[in-house]
Amino acid sequence: MATSAAIVAEGLTKHYGNVRALIDLDLSVERGEIFGFLGPNGAGKTTMIRTILDEIRPTSGRASIVGLDSHADAVEIRHHIGYVPGDLALYPNLTGHDTLTYFANLRGGVDWPYVDTLADRLDADLSKKVGDLSSGNRQKVGLIQAFMNKPEVLIMDEPSSGLDPLVQREFQALLREVIADSSTVFLSSHTLSEVQRVADRVGIIRHGKLIAVEAVASLRSKGIRTVELFFDSPVDAAVFEPLPGVGDVTVQNHHVTLSFSGQMETLLRVVTERYTLLDISTQEADLEEIFLTYYRDDVNEVVA
Amino acid sequence: MLTNVFTKTTRDRWKGMAIGVVSLAALFFFAMSVYRDIDLSVYTNLPEVFRTLMDIPKDADVGSLAYGAIFGSYGTLTIAAVTVSMGSSSIAGEERKGTIGLLLGNPKSRVSVLSSKAASLVLLLGLGSLALWGAGLGSAAILGVETGGMHVGALVFHMFAISAFFGFLAMAIGAWTGSPGMASGVTAGVMFISFVGAGLFPIIKGWENVTKVFPWYYFNGSKPVTNGVDWGHIAVLFAGIVVFVVAALVGVTRRDLKSQAVGVTLLDRLRGNPLTHNVIDRLAGSARVSRIWVKTASEHQGLLFVTAALMFFMMGVMIGPMYGFIDEAMVGLMDNFPEVLLALFGGGDMGTPEGWYQIESFGMMAPIAVMVVTVAIGARALAGEEQHRTMGLLLANPVKRSTIIYQKTFAMALYGLAVGFSTFAGVAIGSLLGGLGMNVGNIAATSLLVTLVGLVFGAFAVALSAATGRVNVAVYGTVGVALILYVLNALLPFNDRLVGYAKVSPFYYYLTSDPLMNGMNWNHGAVLTVLTIMLIVLSVILFQRRDLRQSG
Repeated sequence: MATSAAIVAEGLTKHYGNVRALIDLDLSVERGEIFGFLGPNGAGKTTMIRTILDEIRPTSGRASIVGLDSHADAVEIRHHIGYVPGDLALYPNLTGHDTLTYFANLRGGVDWPYVDTLADRLDADLSKKVGDLSSGNRQKVGLIQAFMNKPEVLIMDEPSSGLDPLVQREFQALLREVIADSSTVFLSSHTLSEVQRVADRVGIIRHGKLIAVEAVASLRSKGIRTVELFFDSPVDAAVFEPLPGVGDVTVQNHHVTLSFSGQMETLLRVVTERYTLLDISTQEADLEEIFLTYYRDDVNEVVA
Repeated sequence: MLTNVFTKTTRDRWKGMAIGVVSLAALFFFAMSVYRDIDLSVYTNLPEVFRTLMDIPKDADVGSLAYGAIFGSYGTLTIAAVTVSMGSSSIAGEERKGTIGLLLGNPKSRVSVLSSKAASLVLLLGLGSLALWGAGLGSAAILGVETGGMHVGALVFHMFAISAFFGFLAMAIGAWTGSPGMASGVTAGVMFISFVGAGLFPIIKGWENVTKVFPWYYFNGSKPVTNGVDWGHIAVLFAGIVVFVVAALVGVTRRDLKSQAVGVTLLDRLRGNPLTHNVIDRLAGSARVSRIWVKTASEHQGLLFVTAALMFFMMGVMIGPMYGFIDEAMVGLMDNFPEVLLALFGGGDMGTPEGWYQIESFGMMAPIAVMVVTVAIGARALAGEEQHRTMGLLLANPVKRSTIIYQKTFAMALYGLAVGFSTFAGVAIGSLLGGLGMNVGNIAATSLLVTLVGLVFGAFAVALSAATGRVNVAVYGTVGVALILYVLNALLPFNDRLVGYAKVSPFYYYLTSDPLMNGMNWNHGAVLTVLTIMLIVLSVILFQRRDLRQSG
């Protein structure tokens, strides 16, 4: 069992009447990785999570977590996981501490010093009633609840919603620590920057279909950059568009922005032949641009 | 007034009123058709005091009996309850849902929002009353029952006034406190006490005038179906309505709005007090979240406390000594009473202490009290967690779905037993105080049977909750079914051909064996227990097969 993947989905499909929320989704999340699950609102991220947690049942296909069947072994699975639901709701009349005690009792105990450490690091107030907390502070209680049992697999649906940047950074540090302790994290998000910062691999889902799964590092190595060029006189977009590796050209008078992959020399040689280059700035493209560049066709096909 | 708030409230709420009106219309038609087949000479022999108590006019006929039985008690209670539910959630409901901020983010005043909701309440209540008026006259026409000389419209108008009275009371409390639970709870309590008091005091010698402190007196004290609209009484009710509306408007304007409703319980206050903090925290803080059933129980402690106290004092302890004060005309005349008629009121014989308690406490109030608690817990058991979106988190822990049902059912059974026990204790003490000499074992048996009936309907609510995940469906579905089964059991024995069908009603297994006189009927107890168990097993099957709902 120790060798089985953390999460496996095989042909996972979920229909609500005529609505196809998940379509034939195959996925394997390896142990010890942070897997980012990306997609716009309504793409099927939450449906996928609720299906593998046995909250809802697949129309067809199956899933397993740490080698256990998501339906038949549902109760056993929950000994191994921590879960933060999307759009988290807690019991408003309980304090944070009561809430954690309740869930700890359902699991037969918890390491309270560790809970205190977590509360400290996330700056959470556990003495107030959850209903009196702001949504960000409530989210912290939800996060502690997921981390506190040191689970083998953490499943988190939009976990950093409502958190301020400092707490987000602490949360990301926590994620890296639990990975170092050989846990696995399945992180659903529509915030690309967050996933980019912590994930080892990302899967992108649109309209219920898994479009792509890529290692973040290999995406980066595709070397797409955003290039800004400043000239001494107005320039013509038609000069840049036909060049190999160039895309998304925008021209504003003396100023050009484009995405570029390939050797910088070829680009520079062409433009300096025609114009006088005053300044240049380049930066690594973020995942969004990479996805849009590489998977535009898939996306269009699915949308259509 | 805001047209769109008015329209939305009306659209959200019309179903509750429509369901109430349609089931009452059906019940009324059924009751009238049963009454039509009875030998009416039965009523001419009734002592006047009894007729007063049961709202039966001297020249009793089919029409007035049916109007009195259905519109006079169940009907008005039902319509008033729907109105109270609207009134209590007007502003407080939006606060609990957290939508009030969004609503008032628009350039509209609190007063205009509340006025629009009040207008919607009046409109729906008015339409519901008109529909019941139509159903009352229509049924009579279809069944060929003579209604000449009867003021059905006046009765319905009084019903409108008393329902609005309680609806606006609830609105005022909600506007001041921001808590829909507090608003509906307090109003329901006042309504309950008022309903009982208005029926009880007219037959206590020397206390007749006390009746006038109860709002219910202004609904049917003047016998509107016989005497027409009593404008004095209507004026009293409308004056109350005006006071409540003003109070609501003042209350909602001067108060801080809540962003999320968090109730402060007695335990919270004790926990917050430095003197009691340590003890209470040890007892209630971590203890109340130790298990699912303990947490479920702790969530309903207020409801249990109020219900059990009402049953203990009002329906138990107080009723006993009153027996000695009943108008003497009552006693001794009971031999003349036809069996069939007594069955309608739970088979009580007012000439005996047992019959007195049966009519006042066990016949209607005890099953209602137990069901209030069991149905409230049962309906929220699963659907409550789903609508508040906490079920997913709960089920992320290593607990089976069936375990959740069993634990919540256990909390429900425990609370049902607590209400049954406080009824038992109250009646036993009341019997002692009044020197009535009732058999304690028989009181216990009757209290146990009423608890078991309550558990059947609690389990029915769990099953609806498990099947649909919707609290409202579970509550209204259970109440509707229980109402129909209660009236079936009360009225079917009137008809020789249909008498056997009363056995389909769980209420048949409660008082038919006359447990206050004869002691425990174990067979009937067993039927109710098996029924409860079957419903819970069904709930497990239904819940395990179903996709959890994602949101309310």
